[in-house]
Amino acid sequence: MKKAIAVVLLLTMNAMAEDLTGKWSGAFKVDGSDHDVSQLFIFKQEGNKLTGSGGPDQSEQYPIENGRVDGDRVSFEITTGEWKFTYSLRATDAKLAGDLELKSVDNRRTAKVNLTRIQ
Amino acid sequence: MVILGVTGSIMAFEPELDRLLHPQLSYVAPDRRVISLSEIGDAASRRFGGEPVVAYLPSLSPGLSSQVLLPSGIAYVNQHTGEVLGMRTRGQTHLGYVRELHVRLVGGSFGRSIVKLSGIAMLFSLASGLYLWWPIKRVSIRGRWGTRRPWFDLHNAVGIFSLLPLAILAATGTIIGFEDQVGPLIYKLTRSSPMHITRFTPPEPAPGATAITPDEAVAIARTHIPGAIPYRVQMPKYGGLYVVALLNPKERVAGDGNVVALDPYSGQVVSLSRSSDLSRGARVLAANEAIHTGSVLGMPGRIVVCLASTMVFVQALSGLFIWLGGSRARLSSSPPMNEKGVS
Repeated sequence: MKKAIAVVLLLTMNAMAEDLTGKWSGAFKVDGSDHDVSQLFIFKQEGNKLTGSGGPDQSEQYPIENGRVDGDRVSFEITTGEWKFTYSLRATDAKLAGDLELKSVDNRRTAKVNLTRIQ
Repeated sequence: MVILGVTGSIMAFEPELDRLLHPQLSYVAPDRRVISLSEIGDAASRRFGGEPVVAYLPSLSPGLSSQVLLPSGIAYVNQHTGEVLGMRTRGQTHLGYVRELHVRLVGGSFGRSIVKLSGIAMLFSLASGLYLWWPIKRVSIRGRWGTRRPWFDLHNAVGIFSLLPLAILAATGTIIGFEDQVGPLIYKLTRSSPMHITRFTPPEPAPGATAITPDEAVAIARTHIPGAIPYRVQMPKYGGLYVVALLNPKERVAGDGNVVALDPYSGQVVSLSRSSDLSRGARVLAANEAIHTGSVLGMPGRIVVCLASTMVFVQALSGLFIWLGGSRARLSSSPPMNEKGVS
């Protein structure tokens, strides 16, 4: 029993130890769309708080809002104007993958996201 | 096809319908006095817990309100008085659902594929309809309602009068659906390439530097696109630069494609794209879309698109009644209609 608790604790600590600070690139694809949309994030993690910026490339970056890291779960929001992007990702190794919800004033769509650490 | 027709007829007047559904947010009493964008933004931000302004959508008509995009939604502000009229939060609306139906039948990739193929099916249907109409050339409606004859005449008359607009809508819609495949072909035929917008990473501001106001950004942008009206101003916190989009009302094709990006501190233009500089291929694709929406002819064009789209439903209904009439006739062993639609 003690061994099992130790293993769980070790795994949890390992998952929490993954610091997301750095540059991440990848893409998302909206369900029903033909295109991949490029993504570049510059994360700063302090404890379980995630800040920084993200957007399609280096020159177009939007501030990260309500960023949170809970174990291997990563969630944050970005507002580009008409659209608000809500990311619900899971960290595995040097990758982040999961779901994206896009909401405009009259529309709601979903997408799949895949990001890889580049720096 | 019926779904595409009905949703298309609604979408032809989407902005007007949206305003009718939100009259208290959309309409203001026209006045000569117009307050600055900064004042409009401050009023919206104050009202909604100090949220930062993401972008402005300035009013394009004295009787319509201005909009301020905030992280939590869109605030509507009377640009004459500064009164905040309210906010719309983000999420699916009935009109958004109609658009999703028209574009992908609310069915993701599968729905989108069906929509794409529906355009081709519509073109075949119109061609076969013309083939069947040609020997009888009927354009008037006769016979007693309740019988098959008036439905047959209605189907013929509506079909021939709406043939051209429906063929144009189906063809332009098919091109939009297959733009990934058709686009490169159009660029090849026109020996042009897609417009390339160069983005610049904004320089780090000098210590103590203050950003120019959105009104100053708009004033600078307007000097580069004379006569154009600003319809969107993105704040530098969201994207790194001031991005001012301007509408040239004289250009029916891609008139909204004027975009000026400015350094938020020096006010220098770092990128500029004019709708008049569109390549031949890009202009063809933009014209195709403007024809599909009817905007190429302004309000008359949108009315034609709305009516023609509605006719798809009329044709489906009249076709159903003809088929039902034929089935009943067969069941009662009455003689079928001849090629002139007379039994």
